[in-house]
Amino acid sequence: MEDIFCYTSPQTASSGSGPLRGLKTAIQPCFCVAEWPTDAGSRALAGFTALEDATVVERLRQAGAVLTGLTRMSEFGFGLDDSRAGMAIRNQAADVELSLDLMGETRLAAARASVCGFKPSWGIVSRFGLIGLMPSMECCGLLAGGVKPIREVLKVIAGPDERDYSLPDEKTPDFSPREINPRETTIGVVSEGLSNVTSEQRDAFEAALAELREAGFSLREISLPDFSLFALVHRIVGSVEASSSAGRYDSVRYGQRAKGAKNWNEMYLLSRGAAFGTLVKSYLFQGAFFQFERYDAYEDACRVRARLLAAMAEISAQADFLALPAVNPGVPDMAASLDDTYRQFFYTAFANVTGQPALYLPPGAGAITPGLQLAGPRLGDARLLALGEYLLSARQGGK
Amino acid sequence: MEFEAVIGLEIHIELNCPTKLFCDCPNNPGDEPNVNTCPICLWFPGAIPRLSQAALEKASLLCLGLGAELQPRSAFDQKVYYYPDLPKGYQLSQAHLPLARGGGIDITDENGRPKRLRIHHIHMEEDVAKLVHEMEGRTPISLVDFNRAGAPLVEIVSEPDFRTPHDAMEFLKALRTQVRYVGASECSMENGTMRVDANISVRPRGTDQMNTKVEVKNMNSIRHVGDAVAYEISRQSACVSSGEAVVLHTRLWDPDRKATFPMRAKFEGPCVPDPSVPFIDLSPEWIEKMRARLPEMPAARAERFVARYGLTDEEAVYLSADPETASYFEALIAEKVAPRTAMHWLTTQLLAAVRERGQELSGTPVTPARFAALLKMLAKDEINANAARQVLIELFDCGESPEKIVEARGIRQVSDHDALEGLIDRVLGENPAAVADYRGGQGKAAGFLIGKVMQASGGKANPKIIRELLTKKLDALG
Repeated sequence: MEDIFCYTSPQTASSGSGPLRGLKTAIQPCFCVAEWPTDAGSRALAGFTALEDATVVERLRQAGAVLTGLTRMSEFGFGLDDSRAGMAIRNQAADVELSLDLMGETRLAAARASVCGFKPSWGIVSRFGLIGLMPSMECCGLLAGGVKPIREVLKVIAGPDERDYSLPDEKTPDFSPREINPRETTIGVVSEGLSNVTSEQRDAFEAALAELREAGFSLREISLPDFSLFALVHRIVGSVEASSSAGRYDSVRYGQRAKGAKNWNEMYLLSRGAAFGTLVKSYLFQGAFFQFERYDAYEDACRVRARLLAAMAEISAQADFLALPAVNPGVPDMAASLDDTYRQFFYTAFANVTGQPALYLPPGAGAITPGLQLAGPRLGDARLLALGEYLLSARQGGK
Repeated sequence: MEFEAVIGLEIHIELNCPTKLFCDCPNNPGDEPNVNTCPICLWFPGAIPRLSQAALEKASLLCLGLGAELQPRSAFDQKVYYYPDLPKGYQLSQAHLPLARGGGIDITDENGRPKRLRIHHIHMEEDVAKLVHEMEGRTPISLVDFNRAGAPLVEIVSEPDFRTPHDAMEFLKALRTQVRYVGASECSMENGTMRVDANISVRPRGTDQMNTKVEVKNMNSIRHVGDAVAYEISRQSACVSSGEAVVLHTRLWDPDRKATFPMRAKFEGPCVPDPSVPFIDLSPEWIEKMRARLPEMPAARAERFVARYGLTDEEAVYLSADPETASYFEALIAEKVAPRTAMHWLTTQLLAAVRERGQELSGTPVTPARFAALLKMLAKDEINANAARQVLIELFDCGESPEKIVEARGIRQVSDHDALEGLIDRVLGENPAAVADYRGGQGKAAGFLIGKVMQASGGKANPKIIRELLTKKLDALG
């Protein structure tokens, strides 16, 4: 288990008697737990222990969940190179895992571990105590063996938090179980989603779609010619936000300070230079470049983001849900560069750009499909999860 | 060539809210270093800012008080720069969508003409930490005090409407008065609750070009702002006259050498919107509710003082400049003191005495009720002005009423004609030379004789009655 967990809780008994009593919950070290080493996978926070619980942690505890430990994550949750997300679920060391989702990490980790992965709508789960990297893209993702535990945990952790005013003043989705009628449900298939796959992979995706068709859903092809812009917008806006928000890791108030600096400027350079890993460092450099040298491009990216949001809203009038691949075939699991990283997340970044919910469902036992990514409109989390639950139970011959 | 200056001001005002702008820490920067801090204002990992309602309300009142228009939507941005006084690599400031736009301040220019100095916009931002540079043995060290980090500020950015140091100083005085009126800040440049940066450029008089400006900082009084602006105008004029180009940069005012000196430029990046601070959307109803909370502003109050109490414009402006003084004045009126007496005694006697004792009008033991009782005795001729001044001093030191003090010291004014006539006769008898002078046409001899009578009465005589009786007697002698 040591290669999965970087910290295991000394306490395994459940306290409280809430709806999650006894639920084994693993979290990543980007969720603050008082006195736990929550370093978000970065040397910049080596030895840092949180002063208080994140809101999600507090709510999990109150609901009776058992925090089993912290699972290994990539630096600040960026990419999956050093992440073991999903493995605790796969090895039954946890029932549910909370993981930072910046551009689809939860869904891709779920695909790798062959479990379910969910990214909720932006703004329904408090980010207070979440050590993130890009505030407008990041959220608390959930992994589990099935969809039901995800829904039950989400029901507990979602909702207004007076410590996170960035949550829009909206009605929290109702996470009670609900019915899905396939005959009245349209699932849109983004045709551009299949533009750069081999015929073999296309066949595999078609097989996944066939499962939907068999279950009685009507499929509808939907064109989104600008689909490749999602990753681009994410890359520009996300890196600028990351560069700006990571400014707090300056070694002045906490973290590791490099020795031997002659003045404060050198202290910053040496400390920050030693603090970040190569991938995050190049991402921060890129963000600083757009912020200081090409601010116009950043502003363009913000405008394009608004346009993509509008395009996505139009699509939701044509289909209740969207189906896409999750994994970009042909990209190695280990990303050597920013380009590789963004290629890995080509199919998932859109949901972080628009703030809509997205779910990864693993293939059924013995199936040859690579699994399926489903997305719903923003705040349509409960319906999307209901769709997931419906499909899983259909596989077991339940419906 | 004759030059004229184009001047704009950027004024930071620290709001006197109980808490900081984005957390619940006390807004007391002067406390023991680093006691007023929390994971949010120290920007620990996972911290999320939460805008203070009190700060938003106070800032909004300030904007309305200055006639600025609150914007239906404003937002916070991250102003990026790296410096140890900034706990997160960026300052939260409203760079793109400010809280309010427009407004202005009316002043009187050097030629006595009314002039309006316009405000471009007003925005909120958080203050930074304080750096203390010390020596540890032979090693220079810098200590950071985060008490001030996150304190609520508003920044008022003026239009470049100012032409002279006079304009700048008058603007600041009026601004200070108005901000004190809405109760948003003490606006003390000495204590740093008001900080002023001046942007100055020069151009040939009569042209309307906008030349390269120089920013001047580090003035810690309104007078210093005037001095620094005056210095900078002559420095730049000399530059241009000698064919030297003015370069965009920042200078620091050195009050000891009475000159400005260039400072090292601070690296500053553009501002990006902060997704963690929601938009501030103000409904028209909310704005009207704020407007209803606005007190009567100094200009309106001065006008009312003129119309209602018959003060001169000058007196009314002076009285209304400080909200405490104006309220004290009105409290005296409410106690039925005549407006002119109240104005005169408040401004010439009480204010000086209060200041001498390092007190504030609001905290002085000489309450409006006690002061009014004293002034009413004066008005009824029960004491004379001299005695009133003596009693005033005692009011500071003992809790007795003015009536009791007057009785105890036996300084009730003598207005009894018979008693005074006896004294006058005696004085006239003792000073034949003065009497002769008076009769010889030297009117001022009467003053000498009145003084003598007053002296003889132990200072208690009613001077009006002495003059009346004495003149009658002297004229009868003639």
